[in-house]
Amino acid sequence: MGWLLASPYLIYSAIFFLIPLFWALFLAFTNWNLISPEYETVGMQNFLDAFFSPSVRAAFWVTYKFMLMFVPIVIAGSLFLALIIHHLPRWKGLFAVGYFLPYLASGVASSIVVKGVISYNSPLNQFLRNALGWDVDWLGSPILAPLVIALMMAWKFVGYYALLFLAGLESIPKEVYEAAEIDGAVGWKRVWHVTIPMLYPSFYTVTILAVGLMFGIFTEPYVLTGGGPEYATHTWQLEIYNQAFEKLNAGYGTAVAIINSIVTFASIFVFRKVLEKWGGKHGWE
Amino acid sequence: MVGSKRWKVGLLYVLAFAVLFVMVFPYLYMVLGSLSPWNEVDRKLIPSSLTLRSYEWLFQGGEDVVPRPWLRAFFNSVLVTSASTLLMLVTAVMVGYALSKVPFKGRQWVNNAILFQMFYPSIILLIPLFLIVRYFGWYNTYWAMILPKAVNLWAIFMYTNFFRSIPDELIEAAKMDGAGHFTIIRRIVWPMSRSITTIIFLFLFMERWVELLWDMLVVNNEKMLTLNVLLAQMFGPYGGYPGPMYAASVLLTLPILILFLLFSKNFKEGMQFILK
Repeated sequence: MGWLLASPYLIYSAIFFLIPLFWALFLAFTNWNLISPEYETVGMQNFLDAFFSPSVRAAFWVTYKFMLMFVPIVIAGSLFLALIIHHLPRWKGLFAVGYFLPYLASGVASSIVVKGVISYNSPLNQFLRNALGWDVDWLGSPILAPLVIALMMAWKFVGYYALLFLAGLESIPKEVYEAAEIDGAVGWKRVWHVTIPMLYPSFYTVTILAVGLMFGIFTEPYVLTGGGPEYATHTWQLEIYNQAFEKLNAGYGTAVAIINSIVTFASIFVFRKVLEKWGGKHGWE
Repeated sequence: MVGSKRWKVGLLYVLAFAVLFVMVFPYLYMVLGSLSPWNEVDRKLIPSSLTLRSYEWLFQGGEDVVPRPWLRAFFNSVLVTSASTLLMLVTAVMVGYALSKVPFKGRQWVNNAILFQMFYPSIILLIPLFLIVRYFGWYNTYWAMILPKAVNLWAIFMYTNFFRSIPDELIEAAKMDGAGHFTIIRRIVWPMSRSITTIIFLFLFMERWVELLWDMLVVNNEKMLTLNVLLAQMFGPYGGYPGPMYAASVLLTLPILILFLLFSKNFKEGMQFILK
């Protein structure tokens, strides 16, 4: 009976997980082009090509660039929101829900809004031009274009991550604060020396989630920038999509996907180790 | 002392509302843009008057652009998302129940398989999955968008954990009364999991609703596109028609927002379970 109840999962996984799993391992070593009936196995050629490909290298570095922008912004932002909600005497739930609303937005819809907000004649750009004399080409700059996307994503995720920090804040026992008060830690001093170190588990979770997210960016650059300017927003997913479904290099695309996964695992592993070491120094195991 | 505290709380609320305004601003901008006269879209923050022209244009088409099947795309989105979410919920409850309340040989093995799969990078599967769907002849059908997204590992995982907290005695007692597993699920387990179900449902529905890459790959027939994909594809060509783009964005965003606000009563307690 157990097997029967679990059968939807088993059937699904056989068809949509196991078969593609082995197929991918095979495809990555072929030069198949998605259409023709003929193909050859090419050994490690796809992986070698990917290693020397400028667009794969771009995707590799762009991901860390996004990380550098997104992770600090989203952590500072969500901690800030959590602190606000935590200290409100009333309507906590209301504000938690309100701050969560951006998480519901489709990346396509928010890209349309962003495109409008930064379009040439938009109120924002008019203001920058007239008041400050700045003529900003937002999506044409290799620094601003990824920053715009990182900010969009931060807007979407701060409310969600704030809930994680909020759970952490609520789990700090009152005695800790009382002890801190005796030691003279109040106000911002208390936040900095007591609250933030006590929040280490939340920091850990949010950082790992945010880092992992950076390896899966697709919608925003696909819609907004197409990976440009000059590969400045060219992410792994965009590269895989382009190779497999625009250029029809199914084998090569699969090889890039495998490389992407290895890089993702390795990066997250390193982040975990660094965070654990840092936490261990402060008494967290 | 009391006066300074009240002053601080007041300031905190001002801050809280200011942040709230920033968070909802893009939504406001979207709605205002969809209702603005066309010569003011993206040029004026507050339109001088409101008009429904963008919505009319969206549903009837313009002079020089073919009318796009927005209503059809909306219908496609609703159909695909509802079917897929419903299947994900039903299968997750069944499998979660089996993995938490029905002892069977190999159960631990299935549990481990699910964990492994959850952490397995899905990007590797993208291309072969597409090939399988094409091989089955599902290209350009609803099946391609529903069946590969009919089971959700995260939902199974969540339900398994939740059902573990239901006392075994309840299940045993029901069995003594002659209830089968499906009756137990329907009568006991399902009603008990209402608060977590609303949250899981919301997350599944939302994620399915805004899916872009997969729906874009398996369908290219204009009549089969989901609203999200259609909007993404019109991004360039409709660039000169920002008003209707905002109207379509509102059409895409509103159902999710309404659904979320309807269910938000259980939001905090449900989220607390999910985030554990």
